[in-house]
Amino acid sequence: MTRFVARILFAPTLMVALATLVKGYAETGDGFAAGVIASLAFLMQFVAFGERDVRKSLHTRYAPAVGFLGLALALLITFWPMVRGDPPLTHLPPPDASVIHLGSLELITAFAFDVGVFLLVVGFGVTSLSLFARVENREPTI
Amino acid sequence: MANVLSALQDPSPLTVLLPALLGAPLTALAGWGRPRLGAAIAVLSATLALVLVLLAWTAGGSNLRLPWIPSWDLWFSLRFDGLSAIYGLLATGIGVAVLVYSSRYIPLHLHHHHRDARQATTFYALILLFMGAMVGLVMADDLILLFIFWDLTAVVSYFLIGFDRDDPASRPAAMMALLVTGGTAILMLAGIVVLWQMSGTASIRELAIDGQDGAAFSIAVALIVVAALAKSAQVPLHFWLPRAMVAPTPVSSYLHSAAMVAAGVFLIARISPLIQRTAWVSELLIVVGLASMAIGGLLAIGRDEMKRLLAYSTIAQYGYVVVMLGLGGRYGAIGAGFYVIAHGLAKCALFLTAGAVTEATGRKQLSEVGGLARAMPGLALAGGVAAGTLAALPLTIGFFKDELFFAAMFERGPWFAAAAVLGAGITFAYAGRFWAEVFLGPLKGLAKPLPRAMTGTIVVLSALCLVGGVVVQPFNTLANAAGSATLLEPVATTLAYHFDTRPANVMALGAYSLGLLLILTLKVWTNLSARYAALGEQLGPERLYRVSLEAANRLSDRIHGFEVQDLRARVATILVPVGILVGAALIATPSDNAFVIGPVGREDLLLLLVLVVTCAAALRAAVIHSHLSLLLLLSAVGYALATVFALAGAPDVALVAVLMETMISLLFIGFLSATRDRPQVEGFEFDHDRSHTFRDRFVGIVAGLASLIVVWGVLSKPAALESASLDQIALTPAAHAKDVVTAILSDFRGLDTMGEITVIGIAMIGLLTLLARPRHGRCR
Repeated sequence: MTRFVARILFAPTLMVALATLVKGYAETGDGFAAGVIASLAFLMQFVAFGERDVRKSLHTRYAPAVGFLGLALALLITFWPMVRGDPPLTHLPPPDASVIHLGSLELITAFAFDVGVFLLVVGFGVTSLSLFARVENREPTI
Repeated sequence: MANVLSALQDPSPLTVLLPALLGAPLTALAGWGRPRLGAAIAVLSATLALVLVLLAWTAGGSNLRLPWIPSWDLWFSLRFDGLSAIYGLLATGIGVAVLVYSSRYIPLHLHHHHRDARQATTFYALILLFMGAMVGLVMADDLILLFIFWDLTAVVSYFLIGFDRDDPASRPAAMMALLVTGGTAILMLAGIVVLWQMSGTASIRELAIDGQDGAAFSIAVALIVVAALAKSAQVPLHFWLPRAMVAPTPVSSYLHSAAMVAAGVFLIARISPLIQRTAWVSELLIVVGLASMAIGGLLAIGRDEMKRLLAYSTIAQYGYVVVMLGLGGRYGAIGAGFYVIAHGLAKCALFLTAGAVTEATGRKQLSEVGGLARAMPGLALAGGVAAGTLAALPLTIGFFKDELFFAAMFERGPWFAAAAVLGAGITFAYAGRFWAEVFLGPLKGLAKPLPRAMTGTIVVLSALCLVGGVVVQPFNTLANAAGSATLLEPVATTLAYHFDTRPANVMALGAYSLGLLLILTLKVWTNLSARYAALGEQLGPERLYRVSLEAANRLSDRIHGFEVQDLRARVATILVPVGILVGAALIATPSDNAFVIGPVGREDLLLLLVLVVTCAAALRAAVIHSHLSLLLLLSAVGYALATVFALAGAPDVALVAVLMETMISLLFIGFLSATRDRPQVEGFEFDHDRSHTFRDRFVGIVAGLASLIVVWGVLSKPAALESASLDQIALTPAAHAKDVVTAILSDFRGLDTMGEITVIGIAMIGLLTLLARPRHGRCR
């Protein structure tokens, strides 16, 4: 039963996380909250299936790479404006310019920064969860 | 090509600085693993720097002003003037001599110590880096830029003094030099910042014209002067210099004659117009200089170790320069520059002589060597000229250095004149003693022949001393220019031999006689010096340095020991100081209307109910005795607080709070199940040992009260916060956002977010390092 619930809830939870991220600029929620929700989705899988199986089925060994990718994205968005001579984190398009909308998603660099935060938080969350789970597995207590 | 030629005819300061600075990395890279090539490149780049400084000097000075941090009004401004010329020539010229000498000495030195011969390249690169920093220092017009070069010399000196890594005396000596010169540099930075704030400029030239005055100005200048005096090894911050003698000989000779110690008096000369504006600062210079002359001279006369005698002599000799700069005026300003050149040449030659003698005989003490004149006549002659220069004998450049010194002191009055004669007499005595004990008397032990590059360097330096004693004109011009740059007005004096009874000549004769008298009664002075040295070790500033360093170490150890003893102590070391600071802030600030209880209405009933639940759970958590129940109670507190946020209209915060609470609770449950059957983690157990109960309650109450006070105080005055948030809410549409919290996080305060997520990234690296599966079967 646990496994069944975990399996059918995984995709919807990630969906909620993505929605939180995408709608962050219009409603409650942001990259950080979305990242934690997504991490919780993985935590549910760890609890239900065990770390080893999840590592194989969901490729969680790439989690650190995803996290550092997010950090790199955020760093890029932060410091790229300095190359052009602007202060760090000068977002594009500038205030009052028109923005391309895709539903409630707006294509602005601030959103890309938020995506960086999201990826980093997911990466960090999944990495730390799987590492802790592995510590538990290494020396069986029972 | 034509461009290069014209650039060389009138070199800008950058043309001088860049080759000087680039020599070090070039040597390190090209000479990696090939010390012979490294030595050649090092000597060549130092020679290039010397030539460029000479060209800049003949071209008559130049300026450069590039924007550095324009929004702070900081400029990368370099100025090549008379002072830059004199100290730059010294740094590069002596640099060439030291590098030529080192190219033979360092390989031998490394061989004696059974070290890898390739480390010689590092040594040459460090000397070049030191030289480059000095060249930058003497040209810097901006005080902040000057400070950077100043600190660079301190850092490089650390590596040079500690070059003999295996010698147990070498690291403490290097650390002492770094702490004394680098520590006082912080005072200097404070002084610089005060001056900068007062005048709105950090340019020395503009500050000199600006005409600021007052107590704050004087104290700021005095702070810079303290750093300069420490660098020049003046009493009472002189003790690092004799300790630095553990370094290889070329280092000592470079530090003493042309770099490091010279940097201190250079800075005093550079800011001389600022110093002369306050009487007590210039009087401080005179007092410190005279004290250094006396103490350095007294200690030098009785030393047995050759290099140590020379080290104390340096303290005394730079005391002369400091006194002259304190006196100011024409003779003082010109004399200081001239003195530094004459002393630099002589002291470098003497140090290299001491190194050569040690290399040839394997001995370091004056009492163990003797009679080397017959074995090494060339070295004896060259060393004799250098010692004669220090003792200010006629026909050497040293005669004129004392003539200017006597003239400056005589102007001030009879007591100053007497002190000058006494100082010069003592110098004569220890210079004479040094030379006589090394080269005269019965031969003690055999001497190996020396490489020609080593003796040759000493001969060239001594020849320069003689040339300066006969054809003094070029040195005189240089010193005049330095004096003019010091006083910011053209001054000149003409040096020549005068065969009459003018005061300077009479004083010189008095000094020679006094010196001879001191040599004849040497036993008395050696005893006195030994007694004074013993007293100084008991009560002197070096002892104070050691005691305070040890006390600081012990305090640090004790705090650290307490902090790491268990988890609660670690929490306590954070919370108790915070509580105390908050309490102190509370006492210090006015608290009228700071703590008010707002109105409570019917609509707050739900909120109050949730808060009651929170308080109950928190109170129960304080007396619980099981990990799992504690965990559940704490997460109850967390969820209840999240509800409070939601009720207060902060859905973003509430969302994050719920998510984090869930995550942390689940993680902790995982931990508890993992550690269930293990031996309990130290400090994490519910010990029924009551010895810590009092402490734990105390820590908890202090921390709780502190946070209560802070939160209450902040919530009582929300007005200031609101205006900032209103601005941000108003700006949110401009940032293409509808949710103000997200706009704040990724736009308005995005740099904060960047810093915070960087911490997450670092924490992830930490986790991976600590918890990832050990690769070599090492179990944690």
